[in-house]
Parts: sequence; C-alpha cells; structure tokens
Amino acid sequence: MQNPGTGTRTDGSLAISCEELTFSYPGSKVPALSKISFELRPGEYLGVVGPNGGGKSTLVRLLNGLLRPDSGRIRVSGHDPATEPFEVRRHLGVLFQNPENGLVAPFVEDDVAFGLENLGVPREEMRERVARTIRAVGLEGYERREPHTLSGGEKQRVALAGLLAVEPEILVLDEPTSMLDAAGRREVLERLEALRAEKTVLHVTHHLEELLDADRILVLNGGQLVADESPELLLSEPNLLRENRLILPVVPRLALALGLPANLRTPEELAEAILARAGSGTRAR
Amino acid sequence: MRLELRDVHHTYAPGTPFEVEALRGVSLAVGPGEVLGLVGGTGSGKSTLVRHMNLLLVPTIGEVLVDGVDAMTLKKSELRRRVGLVFQFPEAALFAPTVEEDVAFAPRRLGLDEGEVEERVRGSLRMLGAEELAARSPFALSGGEKRRVAIAGVLAMGPEILVLDEPTAGLDPATREELVALIRNLRDAGVSVVLVSHDLDEVAEVADRVCVLRDGTVHASGTPAEVFYGDPEMAPATVRVASLLKASTPEIGIPVRFDETLAALKAVRGG
Repeated sequence: MQNPGTGTRTDGSLAISCEELTFSYPGSKVPALSKISFELRPGEYLGVVGPNGGGKSTLVRLLNGLLRPDSGRIRVSGHDPATEPFEVRRHLGVLFQNPENGLVAPFVEDDVAFGLENLGVPREEMRERVARTIRAVGLEGYERREPHTLSGGEKQRVALAGLLAVEPEILVLDEPTSMLDAAGRREVLERLEALRAEKTVLHVTHHLEELLDADRILVLNGGQLVADESPELLLSEPNLLRENRLILPVVPRLALALGLPANLRTPEELAEAILARAGSGTRAR
Repeated sequence: MRLELRDVHHTYAPGTPFEVEALRGVSLAVGPGEVLGLVGGTGSGKSTLVRHMNLLLVPTIGEVLVDGVDAMTLKKSELRRRVGLVFQFPEAALFAPTVEEDVAFAPRRLGLDEGEVEERVRGSLRMLGAEELAARSPFALSGGEKRRVAIAGVLAMGPEILVLDEPTAGLDPATREELVALIRNLRDAGVSVVLVSHDLDEVAEVADRVCVLRDGTVHASGTPAEVFYGDPEMAPATVRVASLLKASTPEIGIPVRFDETLAALKAVRGG
C-alpha cells in the first residue's frame, strides 16, 4: 500500500485527483468551490480543514457523486463520480457527521450488511465480512443489538463497520466525531487510527489536533484552496491559521505561547517539555 | 432570578417495560447573572434535566422553584418567557423569509406593540453580533450565523435565564470562540446562562460554576477549580497540564482559564 511517490499523473495510480474543480449551488452567485486542484496518492492520509461554509462538505459530496461539478475534473480510482457513482462508491466510502442518518436496519449486523446486500456478494462471504468488520470496530457481541439503543460512539462505529464491509480502498471521513461526546470521540478516533495503515484517508474535521499525523492538510476557505501543506508547516504559520479561522487546540496553543514547539499534543507531553526546560535552567528572554 | 431544582427525579414511561429512570435526585441552582456549566457524557441526563428548567418535562418526584416559588404554580407561558431554552441544532427551526421576521416571531406572540417588538429584535441581534444579517434569508446563512440567529430568537423573548443545550456542537473553532464571548456578554447584561456542553475547554473559559451529571445524578458540583481539580480525568486540558506540574511546582496554583494557566506556566518556565 506504500505510495510510489512518482508524481506521475496517470489517474489510475492516484486514489483521488481533482483538477480545477468548480461547483455552485443552484441560485447562489458565489461558487461553493472554485478551481480546486489536488491529488491523493494511495496510502496517503490527507486532512481537510476550514471554517463553516468553506467548501469542505461540498468537496465530499462531489467525491462520492452526490453532486456534479459545474466544471473541472474528478477521478476516484480512475472513475468519474458524476457518471459512475456506484463504481466510485465501491472504492470510496464516506463516514458522515451524524451516525443517526445512516443506520436503517433493526439489528447491528443487518445494518453492517446493508451496503453489501446491494453488491450481490454471496451469502457465506457476506456473513464472514460482516463478522470481520464488526470485530475490526470492536463491537463483538453487539450483532443482535438494536442500533437505537447504542451510544453515539457505538453508532458511529456501526456506520464505520458498514463502510468497511464494502472494502473500499479510500475512506472519506466527514467530521465523524463532531456530534459525539469526549468518550465517543476517543473511541471512534482510535478505530480510525488503526485503519490508517491499510487505507487511503481523506479526513475532514474542525479539530486540527486530529490531523497532526496527516501527510498533508488542505485548507479550504470561501471555496478556495488556500493551502496544501504538511501539519508542521501549517502549525508554524499563525497568520495563515488566523486568516482561515483555524484555532489551535489548548495544548499546542499553550506550547506556542510558551515558546515551545506546537507539535506537543497531550497535557503529558507539554508538562514534560516545561519541566525539561525549567530543569535545564534555560531562561527564555 | 434564581432557578432551583430540588431532588428532581424523572422516569420515562413509568409502569411499562420501557421504564427508564433518567434523573435520580438532582439538586442544583442558578443565580442571577451566573453561568452554570452542565457537563456529562451522552445518556447522563443533561437533556432531560434542561427540559425541567421550564417544565417542558415535569418532575416525577421533586420540585422546580423560581425565586423560591413552585414553578408548577406559575403560568406556563410566563415561565417559558422567563426561562428561554435553546435546543441542540436550533437552526433547524428557522422558518421565516428574513432573519428579522424569524426573530420577531416569538416576541410578537407575547402581544407586545410593534415598536417594542422591533426594539427587542434589534437588541437581541446586536447582542449576538448579527445585526447586519437582519434582512437576509435565514436559509442563505452559514452554520454559525444560523445558530446565532436561532439564539437571538429565544433572547428576544427577554428571558432571565437562557439555557443553551450544546450551542457550539458542529461549529468551527473560531465560531465557537465567538459564541463563548457572547455568553460572557449575556452574563454581563445580567442574563443567567446554563451552558450544556461536552467541551470541557469551553466550559472552563466561561463557567462560574460547574455541575457534572453522571447516570442521572450530580457527580460533582462547585467552582470550575473545585470540580476539575477534584477529578483530573474529567478536566479540561489547562487543568490537566497544571495538575501534572503540581507535584514539582506547587506554586502553580489551580488555574482553569487559558490566560490564567498561561500566566502560571510562565512562572514555572522562569524556573
């Protein structure tokens, strides 16, 4: 799954490619996305951030064929989502914000099987895939539970299992934790982290701290792609962050204000860095 | 106004196989010009609790008191004017062709004269930094703008207490910070606020007191410092950092807000 990194522009070797992508919602004078170009290579982990109304959700809907671009070109594993949406959805699965909207079946296992039933997968294989993906999201024993009795984090993991069962190479995560409480958020993020080694991931979020391991981060604001950079570079540009209404989480914000590196993530790492510096007797300024 | 809940229990579907005791004896109070942060995981009873604050739900056992008077004896319409409830994702209820008309809807139904209605609409839009949106269609606004307009609609009723259930859920961090600043403005204008939130960092910035619900009971309550330093597992990032440094540098104190914490950490840095 390691990407060859050759940068060749043959679409077949790219997970996603967008060229000059432009889209306006009917009746709106301002385009929701304007001439967006970027590439995602197999195995990469790409973050997408930006303010509400920046164009993030529009991008996701264009990628899985829910919307068609006004102009420009998209390919997902070599397919055009506008003309081959069903083919594209075998390669690219989207985990949406609100798990409630996706859960349809009376029992967890039926819900996980739902996407597969439409693909004509043989029964035996279907059973096997459902069991495997339920295990992969840590919901063994939940097969006969009713989805409405689950917590937010559990529901989102059921939705994730349903996606994984279709075995897409590309996972698109559209703010999958924004409606969950702290515990639910942690459980979902842990599962997603475990998937990164085997999947190509595009992760849309408001939480910059979820993207510190990303290969690159795209910043969308007002429908424009204003940055496509590594997390290290992005975090070191406070003006760019401010202009795009991006706010660092508390720990890196404290770190920066103390003259420490912004890539300290946890309270433990920050406390350790503060002690190390105090202990070494270094006095800044 | 002072709103008090005394030993409130709430059981859904009592006497059926679906019976669930969502609240199991909750007591708390919100005083004038105070921000109460109400935190707790999904299923802890937060949403059930806030629905008792204006008697959308009636306690199975226990009482709700407004300035010491049993709220059940007050007129419902009067109670709901005084205690404004803003539900999660309130923008779903926007309906009028313009922002102005949407915000005017509820105060107009109070039977106020047009001049008073207009004044309230302007005042509450101003309070939420949304004056320039007055003539726009609520449907053409961004998520953060819609949220502010929806809150303005409840504020236009002139509540003495505003109950906000997850007001920042799904908003970008910059819009969240703006909403937190608005909560401070409301408090400064004498409106009490109950802020229900999962986001401990946000609660740390603005709450005067914090109440932690767990399994339908009050797990902890007090000042933010008392509650958060009592349980660093259930604490915002600022408190977790300071707690970790406390053993080696006791002079760090018990900072909670970002600016307090930064100042305390700078002192440690000096060695």
